[in-house]
Amino acid sequence: MKICICTAGSDLKSLVDQVFGRCSYFLFVDTETEESRAIKNKAKKTVRGAGIAAAQIIADEKAELVIAGNIGPNALAALEQSDIKVISGASGTAKKVLEKFEKGELK
Amino acid sequence: MQKIAITGGKGGTGKSTIAVLFANKFVRNNKKVIVCDCDVECPNDYLLLDQRLEKPRQKVYAEFPKLNKTKCKKCGLCAKTCRSNAIFQAPEEYPIFIKDLCSTCGACWIVCPNGAVEPKKEQIGQVFLNKIKKDYWLVTGIAKPGLEETGPVVTQTKKFAMALAKKINPGFILFDTAAGTHYPVISALLDCDLAYAVTEPTPMGAYDLNLILDLCQKLKVPAKIILNQADLGYKTKIKTIAKKFKTTIKKEIPYSKKIVEAYSRGNLLNIAQNYV
Repeated sequence: MKICICTAGSDLKSLVDQVFGRCSYFLFVDTETEESRAIKNKAKKTVRGAGIAAAQIIADEKAELVIAGNIGPNALAALEQSDIKVISGASGTAKKVLEKFEKGELK
Repeated sequence: MQKIAITGGKGGTGKSTIAVLFANKFVRNNKKVIVCDCDVECPNDYLLLDQRLEKPRQKVYAEFPKLNKTKCKKCGLCAKTCRSNAIFQAPEEYPIFIKDLCSTCGACWIVCPNGAVEPKKEQIGQVFLNKIKKDYWLVTGIAKPGLEETGPVVTQTKKFAMALAKKINPGFILFDTAAGTHYPVISALLDCDLAYAVTEPTPMGAYDLNLILDLCQKLKVPAKIILNQADLGYKTKIKTIAKKFKTTIKKEIPYSKKIVEAYSRGNLLNIAQNYV
């Protein structure tokens, strides 16, 4: 499964960014291979519609699940439209969040 | 006819008050004046002048994109082109237009190679006209509540005011802009002969003054500073910024209880003293 975690930094040690559209990085993790890859969020500096632009980046990457802090209604609708599941309200490091997810503790 | 914008960056520095005080002064000097309230999200010049907005003189329309699914080939060009991030396209799906983010620029239907994006007209605002007294007019633009991009309403309001100006030939037309440096403010500033940046001697006043003077410079509108409530803070920063932009503080207006009271009572028309 390809997961996207919205993070403040570019690796698994980074914290989950509390904003979705303007988070610093998208950390894509493949849960089978445990490989991760970070993409800088180009939507961060847009004047408006950052949530939509961010959702577009994630949809283009064909992620299946997004783990974020807070997420707005526009972005949420766009992700749902793309059949991408969303878990919001996450906090802590990406590594911790991932562990919790794999144990089924993240909802 | 001189076209003057009253702007300033920061909100609540007294733009509308200064605009009305300028208009009062010009009328006293036997000049015809049009005040054009371009703060279309919450116009208040009419309140300061004790007027009511009845019967709109003009309705403002804008064109939003609408997808014709029979023509759309899901190429994604519209979504890639949109600078407002108002078009989202899930993989292999039709694009979705998010109206709240749309600036009605029309780029999506221009780039669509299949003619699948069609413009659809919708009302986004209204323009009102009040005659305050002899030689004194007020044009007010109001955007539809909840409308995200109000720039086009400002443009249309200005057009209405300019058409009126052609008929009555005023000495001055004052464009009272919104706070900020975004699209509605840019629309209001464009083509003006002069801008007065109204600010206050506070760190935030200074910060936003810097932004608005930068914008005026980019739009090639000469700008001068009006320092309101000049005696209530520190002027050093304002003076530094004035120097940086090679402009001057045209007027310093001290805090005045009289103005505040007149403002609150919608009685600004009767302020006869020359503050500006």
